[in-house]
Parts: sequence; C-alpha cells; structure tokens
Amino acid sequence: MDAALGAGATYADARAVSLRRQSVITKNGQLDDLSDTESEGIGVRVLVDGAWGFAGIGRLDDSAARDTALRATAFARAASGRHRTALAPVDAQTGEYRTPLERDPFSVPLSDKIDLCLRAEEGMKHADVKVTVAMVRAQREHKVLVSSEGTNVEQEIYESGGGIDAYASAGDVSQIRSYPSQHSGVSVQGGWELVERLNLDGEAPRVGEQAAALLLAPECPAGRTTVVLSPEQAIMQVHESVGHPTELDRVYGTEAAYAGTSFLSPNDLGSLRYGSEQMNITADSTTPEGLGTFAFDDEGVPARREAIVEAGVLRGFLSSRETAEQLGAGAGGSMRADGWGRMPLVRMTNLHLEPGEGSFEELLADIDDGLYLETNKSWSIDDKRLNFQFGTQIAWEIKNGRLGRMLRDATYTGVTPLFWAKLDRVAGPEEWKLFGLTNCGKGQPGQSAHVSHGASHARFRDVEVGVST
Amino acid sequence: MTRALDLAESALHAAEGDEAEVLVHAERSGVARFAASIVHQPTLVDDAQIRMRIVRDGKVGWASTNRAEGLDELARRAGEAADQARPDPDFPGLAPPADYEAVSGHDPETAELGPDDQARLAGEAIAAAGEFGLYGYFTSALTQIALASSTGLRADQELTDAAVLSLAATEGASGWAEHTSWRVSDLDPAAVTEEATSKAARTRDAKEIEPGTYAAVLEPYAVAELLRWFSYDSLGAQGFIEERSYFCDRIGETVFDEKVTLADNALDPVNFPKSFDFEGTPRRRVELIENGVARGVVWDRMTAARAGDGHESTGHAPPEDWRYFGPLPTSFDLAPGDAASVDELAEQIGDGIYVTRLHYLGIIDSRGGVLTGMTRDGTFRIRDGKVAEPLVNLRFTVPMGDVLGEVPGLTRDRMLVNLNELYGERFPYGALVPSLATTKFQITGTGSGPGL
Repeated sequence: MDAALGAGATYADARAVSLRRQSVITKNGQLDDLSDTESEGIGVRVLVDGAWGFAGIGRLDDSAARDTALRATAFARAASGRHRTALAPVDAQTGEYRTPLERDPFSVPLSDKIDLCLRAEEGMKHADVKVTVAMVRAQREHKVLVSSEGTNVEQEIYESGGGIDAYASAGDVSQIRSYPSQHSGVSVQGGWELVERLNLDGEAPRVGEQAAALLLAPECPAGRTTVVLSPEQAIMQVHESVGHPTELDRVYGTEAAYAGTSFLSPNDLGSLRYGSEQMNITADSTTPEGLGTFAFDDEGVPARREAIVEAGVLRGFLSSRETAEQLGAGAGGSMRADGWGRMPLVRMTNLHLEPGEGSFEELLADIDDGLYLETNKSWSIDDKRLNFQFGTQIAWEIKNGRLGRMLRDATYTGVTPLFWAKLDRVAGPEEWKLFGLTNCGKGQPGQSAHVSHGASHARFRDVEVGVST
Repeated sequence: MTRALDLAESALHAAEGDEAEVLVHAERSGVARFAASIVHQPTLVDDAQIRMRIVRDGKVGWASTNRAEGLDELARRAGEAADQARPDPDFPGLAPPADYEAVSGHDPETAELGPDDQARLAGEAIAAAGEFGLYGYFTSALTQIALASSTGLRADQELTDAAVLSLAATEGASGWAEHTSWRVSDLDPAAVTEEATSKAARTRDAKEIEPGTYAAVLEPYAVAELLRWFSYDSLGAQGFIEERSYFCDRIGETVFDEKVTLADNALDPVNFPKSFDFEGTPRRRVELIENGVARGVVWDRMTAARAGDGHESTGHAPPEDWRYFGPLPTSFDLAPGDAASVDELAEQIGDGIYVTRLHYLGIIDSRGGVLTGMTRDGTFRIRDGKVAEPLVNLRFTVPMGDVLGEVPGLTRDRMLVNLNELYGERFPYGALVPSLATTKFQITGTGSGPGL
C-alpha cells in the first residue's frame, strides 16, 4: 500500500490471502479425486487519477508486494477513458473475525472422509443406478485487508460441505438424483460437524431409489399450472432472478460483456413492483453458517442485514462503495474477490426469501391440480435476468391437495417480475432451509463466488411448465 | 528448459513414493477490461501452481501449492493423501516418457506484452466504438505448463494467447465480436470493434417472434458455444462411460447431416497448439464425427483404463480446474462447407432467423443432447433469403440431433472462437468453426431486447 501511494495512487488497498481447499470425491466405490490445494498471494488495488488498477502475485513477501503495487499503479495510469471513480465514505475499520466452529474440517483424517463417501455410495446402490458419486470438501481462507484510509482487518473463514449423486440410465433415458442439492452438494460456513449433520449415508438409499424410479416415471406434461418449489429450487430462483439483477454493477452495465446487465434501473429503487406482497428478500452477511457471512467485505465495509425486496417492492441493491456513490444511496458491503488474484466485484452474500406462514402440507392443501418441483437440474436466464428456464431433477403431481405421481424431465419458464407476481404463499420458518453454493460465476477474468440462500417452500400460480422441444 | 520445468524437477526431488509426478502451471497475464468505453477492471496476475501426485502401494494422493519454497511440505501433504487413499484397481500408472510433436503456439511479442501494451490495445478497441459504448477487454498472457515424473517423463511448453472482445452497446442496440490468436499481431482491435458496431447498428427496434421451429444461420460464436456445451456430457469419455452421452450406443451410426465433420485437433497451428495433455500424453487429432457418423469421444489415461476394451488416452487429460468433468475436447475443428458467406447460407434457408451468439446455456437432457439458452447481441429475422429486421433475444431449447440433423450448408471460411472464460489458471483454448445453416432451431420463448 505504501508503495502504491508513493507511486501516485490516491487510494490503495491490499489483501494478503492464504487459501486451502481439500476435496474428496468417490465414484462407483473408488476414490475418484483426492485433492489438497493451497494458494497464497497478495492483491493490490489502486486508484490513480480516478482510474482503477489491480495486480496480484502468488507470493507473500515484501519485494513481491511492492512490485505488485507498482504494476497495479502502472496499469491504472495506462487505462483508457475519462475516469471519475469516487467511493462512498466508510469509516476506517479494524477488527478480526473467525468462523465459529466445533471441529476444524482439516483435522478430520482423510481416511474418515473417504469412509463417509464410500458408505454413502453404498447406500445408493440399485440395479439401474449406473454411477454413484459422493463428495465432501473443506476450505479455509485467511485474509488481511489494509487500506490507505486506515482499515486493517483480519478474517479466517472456514467452509465445510458435501453431497451425493446417483445417475440412473436405461435405454435412451438418463436421470440424476442428488442430495442435498445438485452442483457438488451444499456447503456451509462452519466445521465438520455440519457435514455430519447432512446425514449423507442416511439419505443415500432414498436418493438411489428415486434415481431408478425416475427412469419409469412419465415425462412432465406441458401446460400452465400451479407449482410449488422446494426450498432448494426456490433458492435457485432467488439467486438467478433476484440476486443477479440487483447487483448494482450489472445495473450500471459493467458486466455487460459477460454475465450481462439487469432489467432494473437505479430509478426503480423504492418503486418497482418486483413481485407479490408475499415476496420479501433480504441480503444478510451476518447469517449464521452462510457462505456470504463475514465481519467485513473485501472493501472493509462492515457486514449487515438489509431489505432488497419488501412486500414485493424493490428496496435495495447489492453494492460496492463505488456503485453506492453513483446511486447516492447505501455504502456498499457486497464486494467480494475470488482469492488474491482477482479484483473484488459486487457479489451476493447471503440472499434469502423470507418465510411466510404454515407448513408444506398447508401449502399443498388448496391445490386441486399442480406440480411440486424439487432439486435443481438445469438453469438458464437471459442477460437482463428476465426470461428464465429451470429444470428440476424430480417433480410430483399435486392432486386434490396431496402429492401424487412422480414425473421426470420437468421444466418451467417465465419472466422475472411476472413470475414473482404469481407468488401467493411462502411456507413458514419451520420449513426454511439454508443452502450454500460454490459456483456463482461472474467477471473477466472469471471469479467463482461462494454464496448462501435460504427459503421455504414457495407456491406460484399459473406457471408455464414442461417446455416442449 | 523453462522456469516451469525447472520448478517441476525441483519439486520431484522432494517427492517420496513408488511413483511421483509434478505439474507446474504458470501464468503471467493481463486483462484490460472495459465498460462504457472506460477501463474499469484492469487485472494483472503472476502465479505458478505446483501440483504433485504421489503413488504408494497403488494408492494415489494429490496436493498442490503455489509456494515454491514449500516443496517439502507439498510432498508431505501429497504423501499423506496417498497413504490414506484406497488402492484403485483401474489406476493405469503414470504416463511413460514420450516424444512430442513440435508445435507452434508461442509468440515472443505476445509473451512480452505488459500493462502499458494491454491498456493501449484496449484503447484501440475503444477508440473505434463511435456512438456506442464499448464493453469487453483486451487480454494477453504467457502460460507455461511443465511435467516431470519418476517415469522419466519430461515435458514443457510455453503458450501465448491474446484476445479482443468488443460488445458495442447502447439502449436498445448491441453487437458482439471477439477475435483471438496466440499471436497478437493477428489481432486488429479496431477491426473487432467495427465488426461489433456494424452489427449493433442493425439491432435497433427489435421485434418479437412467435415460438416455434425455425431454420437458422448460426455465426461461428454460436456454433462454438453449442459444441462446447454439447461436449460436456457427450464428447468426453466420462459422460460416455457413465451413459450420459448422446453418443452412447451410437458410435458408428449416422447421427447428423453428412456435411458435419468434427474433430479435436490440438496440433493445429491455427488453434492454440499444444503438444501434450495434463498427464504428459502426446496430443493428437481425434475424429469425433465424420460425415455425420459418430466416431468417438476423447479420453485420458484413467477413463481409458476404466473402460478397458482397447481404449487408450487420446491426450485429453484435463487441467486441475476441470478434473470433475473428465477429459474434454479443447481444440474443436468443425470442417468447413462451400458457402462463400453467411449471406449465401441465408439464401439457402430462405426463411428463418440469424443468430450471432448465445448466452447462458444449460443442459436439459444430456442423453438426448438437448440444450437451452438465449440468443444475444445480434439476432435477426431472415426473409426471402436475406437478413432482415432485428429480433429480441430468443430462448432456444434444441436437441443437437435437430440442429445438426439437416445442415443446408456451412461457410468456406472459419474463425477461431475463444472458449476460455478466464476462470482459474490460464489455459487458452478455442474452436475453429464456420458459420452453419440448420433447418431446425426451436425457439421456446422471447426475452429482453438487445442493448443495455
């Protein structure tokens, strides 16, 4: 930081990061992958005459830090355009944060992790299940952020996670069933005790049986009907059609060339009707066990909880200090970087669909004819986050208020605000579940963010399902 | 010898096992990313990741680090992993030494580009944008990949890559272009932007169309993206042996139009040439589809051993970030046709749609080869054999058996499309593809209009 300021930077921050990741994957009763990766380095971000510069190097020593600061400064000085970057004011922060945990996931012997995966795989065995996969993972990120404004914060964040998949096939039909979600299971911020809580081996027999049963299930018919999304699918809906469009850098167009922009404009704040009155979305970087939980974001802004959508009306954006200053509201708090070698970007932290009232059964009770959609299988949404299409691993008919036949290859499609307007009930807090995803992509160069979402079962009326090709 | 191979050999000395292998993947890169014609996310990265694989009593352990001074610790972690692993009866052992074909792919001028050059070349792209805001980047990198193993294998290669991405956009209008090469002198940033702006200027007042099945002309950007997503389950050995591939039970059968011939050719100097894969197996050309007939998929040593039946690695062991997917094609080569231009393809289909690029694809049914996604930044109606009015972004949900099932034509000219989204460690790869006409492209919905 001192080197950058000496070279003419008007603002500088530096993040020293040490990251360790471990994963165990077993497949068909064999150890498929056992990796233990560590990476450390420093990333220096500077402002020179209003222009950003960033450089990262995979070393942690004085000369590397100074050289990297000078490279970042040179890049900023060479950058094209009329730069006028200004940052929303934030008090200098000092402090430390460490994930509360009972058992360090790196202290668990690899052989115990392998045994757990193999037990879970054994439980999924079935004649039609051709491939079984089990995975557990652990991550520790230790980072120190200092800035030229006096911020000096240190955080050590642990993640633990796991999941299982069963792939069944027969003839031309291939089906997958997963627990607790697809996409490499789920992760939480915390220790190994949270992996044990997943009960992977206990859930395995059901997962294997359902994968095989899907081969014989009829295809989900096309039409318009009432759908109930499981919490795991509801959080994907929140992620794609609320989380990304409320990222303020997308609203201002700076992701246009890759992830896309947003159908929202800055003027929509406080007035745009995003959905029905049952729709309440909260961004909360203090959620216990959330992958987006911290004491300070990667600009040093303290964690907080804030409304994004209240009773269906847009009340907030996810922002950085720069975009908050552009908007004239807020102070950032959502800036996160993927390791030491990437600039922080506006990212989701923990974004939740707040619970409503009642049980899952009560949600079904007044549905004469509908579909219950469970566990995400595919997702696609346009660059402004309007037109989306999701597929789920499994669907169930709802007839006269009760679950009926299993269906396969279910998809549903819609347009974001029109879809959320059809939300007529969210189940209560007793149904609310938290899921952590580790594959949220954005930025050039690309960055993968780890984010969490919570939701209860959610009911939507008059939804287009079963897209026909 | 490269710095990377030197480091790999040093690490190998620290390893203790029956067999050991060290891979070094080093990168020095710069991305001058811009939005609204302003460079806003300039990123420089300098790193070398060292990955060690140790084999003890038939058990394999992996570990990696970027701490060059921590090689003993790396060896300890990899050894501990091997000790606690389980023997895999299918493990084929580490790759033996091999002779590698000399390939190009390293350009000293590109390797030497620094932040001033990267910013200057981004500036050249921006300066050509005229009335439009420009969104995209200029990027260049030097990547070193080296392998050393106890089998005596030694391999190292330096690769360079550069790319200019220009999205010309304003309210209600946008156009896309991206050019890439391992030689920066092949790139003209202003020309890339001009391609994007001329496309963008034709996208104003975009109209909706009814969902349905249309004939379509797909530009190389769209063709490459379809092939990439099709490949995840269908063109690699892992999806094939796990019965998720469209090619399962179809090898040797005619699955597509006879004009469709697809290979993976990492040795092609027009692509990003590479002489060995991430296990040190020599790269080679692999025929995937020949005149519409499914010929095969790509393999690494592990998938070949698991499958047995005479399969062998085709030189497609993936980088660490992709190991989950198994071996995949990284140098697509779709044979050209004889159409002189995309206009000729439009004449061939007469009535349909014209697609520049695709966005956010997903796999709906892997075994059926069904993909979904959106068109973006240059979608038009084709009427009476001519490219006509602009269209909003369209949702497509397409079986690849339909898209490639009846292909009226492909262009003579091909372009190298960048497929590297710059996640994780730098690994340049691309698809050399023509524009393609198809009689069936299913539109299942409409989205927002072009532009910001």
